Amino acid sequence: MACPGRALLWGTDRKGSPRIVMGQCSSDLDGAPDHALLAAYAAGDLAAARVLTARLAPRVLGFAARMLKGDRAEAEDVTQEAMLRLWKIAPDWQQDQAKVSTWLFRVASNLCLDRLRRAGRNVDLDDAGEPADGTPGVVERMVAADRAAALEAALATLSERQRQAVVLRHIEGLANPEIAEVMDISVEAVESLTARGKRALAAALSPRREELGYG
Amino acid sequence: MAEPDKTRIDDDTLEDFFAAARAAPVAVSDDLVARILQDAAAAQPWAPAPARAAPGPLARLVGALGGWPSLAGLAAAALAGVWIGTAQPVMIEDLGIGLSARSDTAAAEGYDLADLMPGYDILAGGS
Repeated sequence: MACPGRALLWGTDRKGSPRIVMGQCSSDLDGAPDHALLAAYAAGDLAAARVLTARLAPRVLGFAARMLKGDRAEAEDVTQEAMLRLWKIAPDWQQDQAKVSTWLFRVASNLCLDRLRRAGRNVDLDDAGEPADGTPGVVERMVAADRAAALEAALATLSERQRQAVVLRHIEGLANPEIAEVMDISVEAVESLTARGKRALAAALSPRREELGYG
Repeated sequence: MAEPDKTRIDDDTLEDFFAAARAAPVAVSDDLVARILQDAAAAQPWAPAPARAAPGPLARLVGALGGWPSLAGLAAAALAGVWIGTAQPVMIEDLGIGLSARSDTAAAEGYDLADLMPGYDILAGGS
């Protein structure tokens, strides 16, 4: 839907001044990069916070849930806390610093590790979330859900660092340098962690090959 | 060449598992979204600022005088001036009459120091 009379969020105002312009139209905001949305929020645009939340909160929640071995309530608390820290840093955000998502994963990661270290606990991983709509058929959907659930269970057997690296690399899709930034380690260390993590996952999943459709 | 171990999950198969996990994103509850946005509203450094119109003549005058605090001081000084201008002549008048009366022997007998104090009659009960 068009938004007559409104400049793009990261464009200029009507006088051509190079400043953030309030983007009240969701179509303006949806295509804006994360850092522009954060700047718009800091300038007073709550609609930008809504778009950022819709974009980033599911990723942080999924990551936190995996890091916390399926503890949904704790994962929600971590997500809320990480987003709150994002709101607080918004006025001081420098565009040339880390990507917003990388920064947020780093905060969420530290919050998860703090919680894991405060309370060592084992949590059942039966609830692996609902499969997404749009998969071809019921059987395929069930197989995909079973595999996702099996992966969640296998991830829980990894060390914290391996789990963190594998989830960020293979589920959240971060590049190795970004993961290195999140985990505050070298890229080589990330590669080593993901390789060892994948070997451990393969070992944990292998006994269930037939059950998961690889007979 | 060694046969691949068919009892083990290889990298390609593992990728199927990752793909399944990526295809099953964790849904964020409405409650969590509400909490996050509540935090966002509370943490916002300032409220959305409406477009500000150019200041009017009065605002420019007030600004030229140094703002409202300066204007308050100016008003207080003006009131003090009015009070001085209205109250002081009464005292001078009484004093003037008293002093001029001293040169008039007959009239001077009718004055004493109390007559130099304005409002004394009221304090004395209006008698």
